[in-house]
Amino acid sequence: MLTVKNLYASVEGKEILRGINLQVNPGEVHAIMGPNGSGKSTLSAVIAGNEDYLVEKGEITLNGEDLSEDDAEQRAHKGVFLSFQYPVEIPGVTVTNFIKTAINASRKAKGLEDMPAKDMLKNIREKAALLEIDSKFLSRSLNEGFSGGEKKRNEIFQMAMLEPKLAILDETDSGLDIDALKIVAHGVNKLKSKDNAVIVITHYQRLLDHIVPDFVHVLHNGRIVKSGTKELAHELEAKGYDWIKQLAD
Amino acid sequence: MAYTEEELKKELETKEYEYGFYTDIDSDTFPIGLNEDIVRAISKRKEEPQWMTDWRLDAYRSWILMKEPEWHNVKYKKPDFQGISYYSAPNKKDKYESLDEVDPELLDTFKKLGISIDEQKVLAGVAVDIVVDSVSVATTFRDTLAKKGIIFCSISEAIKEYPDLVKKYIGSVVPVKDNFYAALNSAVFSDGSFCYIPKGVRCPMELSTYFRINQAGTGQFERTLVIADQSSYVSYLEGCTAPSRDENQLHAAVVELVAMDEAEIKYSTVQNWYPGDKEGKGGVFNFVTKRGICHNSAKISWTQVETGSAVTWKYPSCILKGDNSIGEFYSIAVTNNYQQADTGTKMIHLGKNTRSTIISKGISAGHSQNSYRGLVQVHPKAANARNFSQCDSLLMGDLCGAHTFPYIEARNNSAQIEHEATTSKIGEDQIFYCNQRGIDTEKAIALIVNGFSKEVLNKLPMEFAVEAQKLLEISLEGSVG
Amino acid sequence: MDLKEKLISSFMAFEEQLDLSSPIHEMRTSSLKQFEKLGFPTKKHEAWKYTSLAKLLKNDYSIFPKKETVIELKDVKKYFLYDIDTYKIVFIDGIYSPFLSDTTHDGIDVCLMSSALSKDKYKATIDKHFNTIANQNDSLTALNTSFTKEGAYIHIFKSVVAEKPIQIIHFSTSDQGPMLLQPRNLIVVEENAQVQIFERHQSLNQHQVLTNSVTEIFASENALVDYYKVQNDLDDASIIDNTYVAQKAKSHVSVHTFSFGGQLIRNNLNFFQKGEYIDSTMKGITIIGEKQHVDHYTLVEHAQPNCESHQDYKGIYADKSVGVFNGKIYVNQIAQKTNAFQKNNNILLDDTATINTKPQLEIFADDVKCSHGCTIGQLDKDAMFYLRSRGIPKKEAKGLLTYAFANNVLESVKIPAIKSRINKLIANKLGVSIGHDL
Repeated sequence: MLTVKNLYASVEGKEILRGINLQVNPGEVHAIMGPNGSGKSTLSAVIAGNEDYLVEKGEITLNGEDLSEDDAEQRAHKGVFLSFQYPVEIPGVTVTNFIKTAINASRKAKGLEDMPAKDMLKNIREKAALLEIDSKFLSRSLNEGFSGGEKKRNEIFQMAMLEPKLAILDETDSGLDIDALKIVAHGVNKLKSKDNAVIVITHYQRLLDHIVPDFVHVLHNGRIVKSGTKELAHELEAKGYDWIKQLAD
Repeated sequence: MAYTEEELKKELETKEYEYGFYTDIDSDTFPIGLNEDIVRAISKRKEEPQWMTDWRLDAYRSWILMKEPEWHNVKYKKPDFQGISYYSAPNKKDKYESLDEVDPELLDTFKKLGISIDEQKVLAGVAVDIVVDSVSVATTFRDTLAKKGIIFCSISEAIKEYPDLVKKYIGSVVPVKDNFYAALNSAVFSDGSFCYIPKGVRCPMELSTYFRINQAGTGQFERTLVIADQSSYVSYLEGCTAPSRDENQLHAAVVELVAMDEAEIKYSTVQNWYPGDKEGKGGVFNFVTKRGICHNSAKISWTQVETGSAVTWKYPSCILKGDNSIGEFYSIAVTNNYQQADTGTKMIHLGKNTRSTIISKGISAGHSQNSYRGLVQVHPKAANARNFSQCDSLLMGDLCGAHTFPYIEARNNSAQIEHEATTSKIGEDQIFYCNQRGIDTEKAIALIVNGFSKEVLNKLPMEFAVEAQKLLEISLEGSVG
Repeated sequence: MDLKEKLISSFMAFEEQLDLSSPIHEMRTSSLKQFEKLGFPTKKHEAWKYTSLAKLLKNDYSIFPKKETVIELKDVKKYFLYDIDTYKIVFIDGIYSPFLSDTTHDGIDVCLMSSALSKDKYKATIDKHFNTIANQNDSLTALNTSFTKEGAYIHIFKSVVAEKPIQIIHFSTSDQGPMLLQPRNLIVVEENAQVQIFERHQSLNQHQVLTNSVTEIFASENALVDYYKVQNDLDDASIIDNTYVAQKAKSHVSVHTFSFGGQLIRNNLNFFQKGEYIDSTMKGITIIGEKQHVDHYTLVEHAQPNCESHQDYKGIYADKSVGVFNGKIYVNQIAQKTNAFQKNNNILLDDTATINTKPQLEIFADDVKCSHGCTIGQLDKDAMFYLRSRGIPKKEAKGLLTYAFANNVLESVKIPAIKSRINKLIANKLGVSIGHDL
């Protein structure tokens, strides 16, 4: 599904990614771990098409299609979803209104009519129930005054609504207590299928107990220095990131 | 590739004023210029009683001694008041008995404006009075309203048919000598709407007036008078458009609202006069005086969405004379290209326990200048007066300006006044977040601006809110900062 | 003869005392013409909408002091910051008092405007700075310039940190009837230099005195200037203070104004930012009663990117007093990333008191954070009840809460001696007994 080849990327002239290679197939869950500053969030931003990041070299393809010329919204229309580490506040725009706009924008790009209000409502209700989201929450301004947990739950709710092919969860576990973490993980697991794929970016092993990865990659200094199965995450937890630094050196 | 700011700007510049069509209908237009004879002629043409003629002449005599105000934060070439025609009517003398009699081209105009004066409005529950180039051409639903004792007609008809009401209230809220433009309007107003809601009556439908300047080289001077008698309620809507013209057109209206004890008036405006082209050429000068007086426990609520006009000078105000009365002002003002707006409100607290709320949202783009100017005044006897004001500005690009001039004067120690103002821009992170969810940049801006304006949009009647939202998008499309 | 005519006709007499060949004198004559053209401001001027000078201008002021008055230090010691070591420049009825002063030329110049204007040694500094940022279109500033003769001259050289604060004290006496005083101060603080200044005007007997003061302050790159003004004069003393501050990159300047007494006080405080990463702070506490009138008129001009300004003015008004706050933040088109904040909070203690406030924003750049907030209100009823339920009588509870309301402005005062002095003054004004460590 997603193929990243020899990817180099920089931000404000500073090189962050130095030759990333990654192959994600349908039905797979990949975890990307690594110390702070290793380039985890940069990788997710570059895949999603954030223009603050400059791709110097390499390519990103989704189902064989090159994404490099696509805007963020075009990538979204093709099925890329990024759950933000720090979701952005948009005062005055309700969660419902926002998701409605997003869904219809994607449908329009595909040449479809707007989703009928009745279906939209039904869809929203179902997905809200999945994530144990209260209906009052849906009429609040997007992310404004949300707690950390509410923001992350809202991200996964949007993921559920948009039904992406590739979902990248950037530090979705940060700021979550254990109950919220379970709800979010439960939601992600429910949404997982043989046709879509998930990349979980995390600093800790904790989330991976609930969203079990098929592959784990360790990122250090802009390169994947070690890949393995879920056991690698345990090993990393036990030995700490210093171990990785030693490996890299 | 990304939709760049440059591309957006270009698209915006080529976006034509959607309502800028001119309707080719025969008009009866006076010679240009203004003197006592013209004032008399207007009055005569309208078959007005002598007291009205005298009232106009009195206003004219005051006006010639007055100076055009200069304290506002707008720059424009002053209109040549002797260079415009003060009366222009579509060339049919009488009011239409039914829609079939209306000039088809005019009906077409209304269609382009998105106004239907047919059955659709029955469903929507809106009664409409339409003023084109100063003359009221159609008032619908008079019969339905008459059953409740509600009078809704043109002001010229009211002068003839309800002289006592008009005589008592016209000029009672906005005195003839109030200001330069109000005096001018008092002398030359050619038509406008009149509305009276009797005691205890809740007007069953929204009352609506549409204004349009059609003829070149004319000014529009309409006069609106709304009287809500004790414990009555009315919601009144006002919309305006004008064709695209290279020269500036003048619009100097006066609106007076009287809310008797326990009455409530909601007055909503969607102002979309022609704003001029992208170079700032042409466009309407909109110099309007709007004011309401609240008696005991009465409430007046002004809501305005201002997207048009080259220059706007407008301060819908409330005189909170009665105890426990309430004044509200909700405003969205959008300026783009070379538009200038100096708008706000005055809340004059005279009675005890009076309350006022001011929510003003200014959005500036292009080379425009957008000013909020407001006055909150608490008089010594206005015990326990409360005011809350919030003025937020959104700037798009670094060629425009946002200005806030609030005047707050408190002379009673039990007053509680809070004023807040902020200035912000649309964040790149907000745009990216929307992009990531599949929403393109232009739509993202519309979404964010709508969110920014929501507190005010929410105050508009449903039907108007949709139109207003659309207007906001049209006015701002592509002006990303 | 009205005051304007009197001033204009007195100018010739004034000229007799001066060196007419000095270039400064040309400035005096052109400023006089400007004043003649503009006249005194009236309520018709937007900037003077809420403050009328009409009554004050009816007095028959003497324009020049006729003789030197001697006062004993023990009689006036209480008006100084006496518990810390300071430099002092003291004037009595506009005339320098060497006896009460303590000036210096040791690494810094703390001396007199009269000598700075006449001696070659200061010429370069005077030429570069004098009357360059004062508003030429302001009639009162022009009037001051035309009669410029005396005042404080302070020059802190590159990288010098003035080791002690400098006090500028003006006394006026009742000996000579109504009196007009027009001190002119120039403060130049070079790169990386630092200084703290305390200014006070005090009349010693009941008599009409009107001070029209102009101060120009220049802060070079990375300079630090803290200026404290105490206005706690007798009730027939009035002051119009015109202060102009020009700041270069990375400099920090703060002006604190404490207005507790006087008949009419008008503070025109103008900040011009002329570099990046500048910080400007304006704070004020106003506590007045009777028929006193205090008007704060501030302007911050953000002309360059990445600068900040902070304004925080608190006002407490009793009896028939009138308070005015008119603050303007101006952000130029290129001044991106500006952070400008303005706060004005007021409490009216009596029905007869008035507050007029007009906080203004004029913003021409889009990537900025600007806000203003102002409130007019009363003391929090819940807090009042809380204090009273703990046994504190109503009057004291009121005083205590009012004190708390005003007091947080003092947090940014860096000289402890000033802080405790102001603390005591506030407590005294509000009739509460509080240890000054609060």
